[in-house]
Amino acid sequence: MQLDFVNRELTIKLVYYGPALSGKTTNLQALHKVAAPGSSGRLMTLETKDDRTLFFDLLPLSFRSQSGLAVRLKVFTVPGQVIHASTRRLVLQGADGVAFIADSRTTETQANTDSFMDLKENLREHGLSLRQMPLVIQFNKRDLPDIRSDEEIAKLGAQGREPVYLAVAMRGLGVVESFIGLLHLTWSALDAEHDLGRKFGFDAREFMNGVAKKLGEQRGTDELLAACVGGALDVLRPEVTP
Amino acid sequence: MTIPAQRDRVEELTVGKGARLEELVDRESLSQLAKSFAELSGVGMRVFDSDGKLLADASLPVELVTYLTTLKVAKTAVESTVSSVKNLDPGPTGQASIDGVSGGRYRVLALEHDGRRVGRLVLGPYFPPSLKDIPAALIELEPALDLDRARGLLTMAPRVTDESMDRLAQHARAALDVVMFSGLKALLTGSMHLASVRESYRELQSKQDKLQVAYDRLKELDRLKSNFLATVSHELRTPLTSIIGYSEMLLEGIAGEVVGEQREFVTTIREKGEQLLTLIKGLLDLSKLESGTMSLRRGTLDVAPLVKDVAQTMAPHAKKKGIVLQADVEAGLPALWADGERLRQVLLNLIENAIKFTPTAGSVRISAKLASMAAASGADEGGLVLLGAQRTAVEFRVADNGIGIPESERGRVFDAFYQVDSSSTREQGGTGLGLSIVKRLVEGHDGAVRVEANEPQGTVFVVAIPLKRSTLRP
Repeated sequence: MQLDFVNRELTIKLVYYGPALSGKTTNLQALHKVAAPGSSGRLMTLETKDDRTLFFDLLPLSFRSQSGLAVRLKVFTVPGQVIHASTRRLVLQGADGVAFIADSRTTETQANTDSFMDLKENLREHGLSLRQMPLVIQFNKRDLPDIRSDEEIAKLGAQGREPVYLAVAMRGLGVVESFIGLLHLTWSALDAEHDLGRKFGFDAREFMNGVAKKLGEQRGTDELLAACVGGALDVLRPEVTP
Repeated sequence: MTIPAQRDRVEELTVGKGARLEELVDRESLSQLAKSFAELSGVGMRVFDSDGKLLADASLPVELVTYLTTLKVAKTAVESTVSSVKNLDPGPTGQASIDGVSGGRYRVLALEHDGRRVGRLVLGPYFPPSLKDIPAALIELEPALDLDRARGLLTMAPRVTDESMDRLAQHARAALDVVMFSGLKALLTGSMHLASVRESYRELQSKQDKLQVAYDRLKELDRLKSNFLATVSHELRTPLTSIIGYSEMLLEGIAGEVVGEQREFVTTIREKGEQLLTLIKGLLDLSKLESGTMSLRRGTLDVAPLVKDVAQTMAPHAKKKGIVLQADVEAGLPALWADGERLRQVLLNLIENAIKFTPTAGSVRISAKLASMAAASGADEGGLVLLGAQRTAVEFRVADNGIGIPESERGRVFDAFYQVDSSSTREQGGTGLGLSIVKRLVEGHDGAVRVEANEPQGTVFVVAIPLKRSTLRP
């Protein structure tokens, strides 16, 4: 996070992590497609070969709250291929929140696990723990055959800490929900740490609703957040002192 | 953890304060773009960065303005217009216009990148078609104005409607936006390349450091092991000397007559004691060789007496097993500069080995002759012309027709404690130290030892000791 008090500007870094070909770039493309022209900059894709990300994709989004605080969201993807380990670590540096994009196909279960362990390890290298990092998990490619069942994901998701979303990023399904879930968790964590809401007279609820609208959503934040199939959306909220 | 500069750079470009206009555009290309715009539209174009520095200038001379600068009062007014255009803030809408004294209009546009203003675009001067005549203000201002000439020049000035100008400005801005985006992309790609390389290097470096620590530790452990061996061997030898000494005294009858089975038992004690002593000496030698504390006592050494002596020493042993031991030394061999005691140990070891692995009625043959050897090993990797230079050496060959050593095992027989066949070890005995000691002693003489197959059966150990010491090795 970068905070510019003079210009009342907040920059938040969100990273889409996950195994190769799980649909991280597709998620960004879907977000880019639905975002209102004034809110989204160009989607930048760095050095691709055969449609594979070599360095990262970057989607800049910017929103302005009613209190006048400009919130710039920089949404990154990491290269999923195993060999780009050092690049992943670089991109992850300074991330405020992570969306883990998993491939729902049963054949990819191991790849998902490996990538998740890689995420954990890379966070550790940056001196962070998975527990501290706002995280949502998206099971993408729900439209393909031989996938892990809804029941299985719902059951495991309910036991876990992280909100879990189901998506078909190619068709834009579940993409905004996952993003709003991630933004919500990230904002909660940053607010808890830096007391941003009070400092800037910032109404998170109003802001989130505004973001959802700019992403072409008719539904409100609550409804979007409720789309998750497990985990907790308030784990990172500050403790309420009586 | 220190963060490499390049990583900072990527961070700055993406989530930080972003890039400056100057970093995003190539100034030469920007000038060409401005020039091409000016040629197409007939309106000049200039690009300033956020500090007001001129990055590209494609202004077109407008003769009316040029004429005005020749007049005293109007010149000041023109200059004042130019300077206000330079400093005009396009305001929150990102767009502003300013009219000059000539009636020419300038359009100033904010250049935005990633939501931030990085510079300004100035287009003009252009004359709206609605401007029918020289502005009254100018006529009033400049008494020396030649109105007819000015009117004539006005007809030649670039005429653009504000609506057309809007479209031209949009187009110019969009083109610059593409240029800036491509510039950022190239900048980020370059920075990421560097950052990735640095990160990989850092990773390798940290692995290398870990390996170095592990290596140092292993080396230390190895040294400790050698020290331990040396100490233990020494401590073991002391009581053993007493065991052997007292059993000898018993056998000599110093403590009274030893008879029958008593003698047999004491003899066994003495023999086994000596066997143990040999083993301990071997260990001691090896650890000394490993720790580099064994020094060679070199002197002039005649080969023929050495071989003869070794053969004589081993003859009874061979005879006992029914093996023929032959010795054969080429006549006229030059003397070696070597440690006679150690070289004797080498040959004894090899012959003992040969006898051990040769069945009854077999034969073992030791020979010495003049030969040549490579100056240094390792020529497989190149440099043969240097490393392969031949040196004169005395070659000792200990050949047997025993069980032989499979080719795959030949490289490893010189490793300490290595046994080709552990079951055979039990049958044949031995510690697996002999050949390892041999190799080290030979190398101590700057020589080389290798194993060859003996035709049709058996093994040949070849030891080459150079006549002159190489200056390469210490």
